[in-house]
Amino acid sequence: MIVRNLFMRQSRQLIALNRQAPVFTRSLSTEVASDTITQTPSVGSAEIAQSPVEQGIQTTSTVPEPRPLKQWDALEKRRHKFNTLGSKVQESYDPENVLRNPPKPADVTLEMLLAAGTHMGHSTSRWNPQNSRYIFGIREGIHIISLDVTAAYLRRAAKVVEEVAARGGIILFAGTRKGQKRSVVRAAELAKGYHIFERWIPGSLTNGQQILGHCKTKVVNALDQELSKFRVDLADRPSIKPDLVVVLNPLENVVLLHECGLNNVPTIGIIDTDADPTRVTYPIPANDDTLRGTNLIAGILGRAGEAGQARRLKMAQEGKTTYEPITARQLRLDPLTGTPPPGSELEKSERD
Amino acid sequence: MARPTTNGLAQALQALQIRSTLPARPVIRSLAQQRRTYAIEVEAAAQQSSTPTPSELPPTELAPAAPKIEFGNFLSRPARIVPASPSYFSGSPRFIDHVLELENLQAKYASLPTVAASEAPRMAWFKLAQFRDYVGEPVPMKKYKILVKILQRLNRIQPDMVPEEVKTTLKSFLRPGNPFAVEHISRTVDENGRARAKGKRKESTAVVQLVEGEGEVIVNGKSLVEVFQRVHDRESALWALRCTQRLDKYNAWVTVRGGGITGQAEAITLAIGRALMMHEPGLKPVLRKAGVISVDARRVERKKPGHVKARKMPTWVKR
Repeated sequence: MIVRNLFMRQSRQLIALNRQAPVFTRSLSTEVASDTITQTPSVGSAEIAQSPVEQGIQTTSTVPEPRPLKQWDALEKRRHKFNTLGSKVQESYDPENVLRNPPKPADVTLEMLLAAGTHMGHSTSRWNPQNSRYIFGIREGIHIISLDVTAAYLRRAAKVVEEVAARGGIILFAGTRKGQKRSVVRAAELAKGYHIFERWIPGSLTNGQQILGHCKTKVVNALDQELSKFRVDLADRPSIKPDLVVVLNPLENVVLLHECGLNNVPTIGIIDTDADPTRVTYPIPANDDTLRGTNLIAGILGRAGEAGQARRLKMAQEGKTTYEPITARQLRLDPLTGTPPPGSELEKSERD
Repeated sequence: MARPTTNGLAQALQALQIRSTLPARPVIRSLAQQRRTYAIEVEAAAQQSSTPTPSELPPTELAPAAPKIEFGNFLSRPARIVPASPSYFSGSPRFIDHVLELENLQAKYASLPTVAASEAPRMAWFKLAQFRDYVGEPVPMKKYKILVKILQRLNRIQPDMVPEEVKTTLKSFLRPGNPFAVEHISRTVDENGRARAKGKRKESTAVVQLVEGEGEVIVNGKSLVEVFQRVHDRESALWALRCTQRLDKYNAWVTVRGGGITGQAEAITLAIGRALMMHEPGLKPVLRKAGVISVDARRVERKKPGHVKARKMPTWVKR
């Protein structure tokens, strides 16, 4: 028995050692394809193999190796051709799709939310009783979040994002959990907002001058074009604070929410059954542990922001703004005292 | 913290108006007052204070059409102060923007064929300190390593298929001056047939001038026997010539300084080995195997406080 065990063990190891990739995978991999192209027949062996008589004949009839670019093009063409063949798969889940083309708030359905797993809460023992109004029931020891409530709160949050975007507000999307990076960046890109996907530096709002003081800002006109002539007026200004913060994982961003509360910055947050819904201004009761769910919610809010921005820019095209624009005079004032800086041209002109 | 009611924002705004001394941000104010201010109206009110407003006119008379929009003026007027980068709130926006840009490039050109890392062109990326200067932000080592990893992956794209976009991006991360462009000049035998080489061992430094001859060796103006009394030292000094059977084919003129007898002898070994390689480069494998061109970089370890020597501790005494 011992001998048999030994053989089994050793032979398995031997197989593992000698294992070679099957030929078909090697020919498909990009690396090996380039290897074969860059390989040149070794000079020494060629010279030995060929007699002087043969050499003269061989050199004239050598076939040039296919260029890597051509070979790659052919490969891509073939791949494209094969992708279009065969039956069409419908109703399949593409994880990239929610990032590439997130749904609009108007298209939100309960089926969509259910498919993304937003209804699953935490173990019943971990619940926060303040969430009882969002909870549909208990199944297999976990709370199930009521999806019609989720959809309603999600639509409200989307409306808030849209209105803030339409009024030229600064929207910050925060999702600091692993895997939320792409959806956060995408939502910020859509909503022309701002993103944070790594740790929130404590004090970025309450001690902004120290932490964000070196980060660049710009003065834009109503059409979001930068006005470089006001660049000099941006020195010694207090750091910018967001007008709305969207948090995908409020439980891990307690400090961010606290600072937002201190600075009267309204917040939107995904509230799971174990979170405190009073920490955010506009809760969205949903599962915050599924990336599929948070990606969906971030995408929807991003789309809402996109609509708001489009509205704002359309109004700006007509020469209107829905917010009170900052004036050139306000820019020249001392940001701390609110008066013209001493010795400046503005002060002289106002004194006259 | 805003109150948890549905109109928490309005309450927050009230609190803002009561407590805050700073001017409220434009969005908040407009949300609170629910007022639409049209930029044209403000301008028109400022410019045409003399023209009668619709309320002043008699009700039967129609108001004249509003003046045309001055787009030139509208576009040059400031509206908002916004962060320059979408990563503003991360505290290191330039770095994060670079990483996102590189990640986008990597995803875009992921399907291009690559070469092995050893065949990719050598690139001297910024050192961490240089990169910190470049972006002007305190970037941690760990995060910079992630960025360099993406750079190296992009650099591995098949050299003749690299897109222009990738080329320019990669170039912006190279440190000024290409350290890999400097070619090493290999030294050769001079016009008089002399090969000059240096060798070091312990504290000693030896300079050897090796010419073809009949096996004469002069060390610091003296013969080898005078300098090295021990046979072992003499043998090790000339080991390069000995192991290649070239003892009677070369003359060596040696200057050796510093250190002790053994150090000097072995410094000469290294120097002669290197000089011999200039005359006959084909001997390199033999010399390598004989161990005469391998540098022995060991030096005397310094004495430490609390120790008797470099590592020796004083004897432990109970009291």
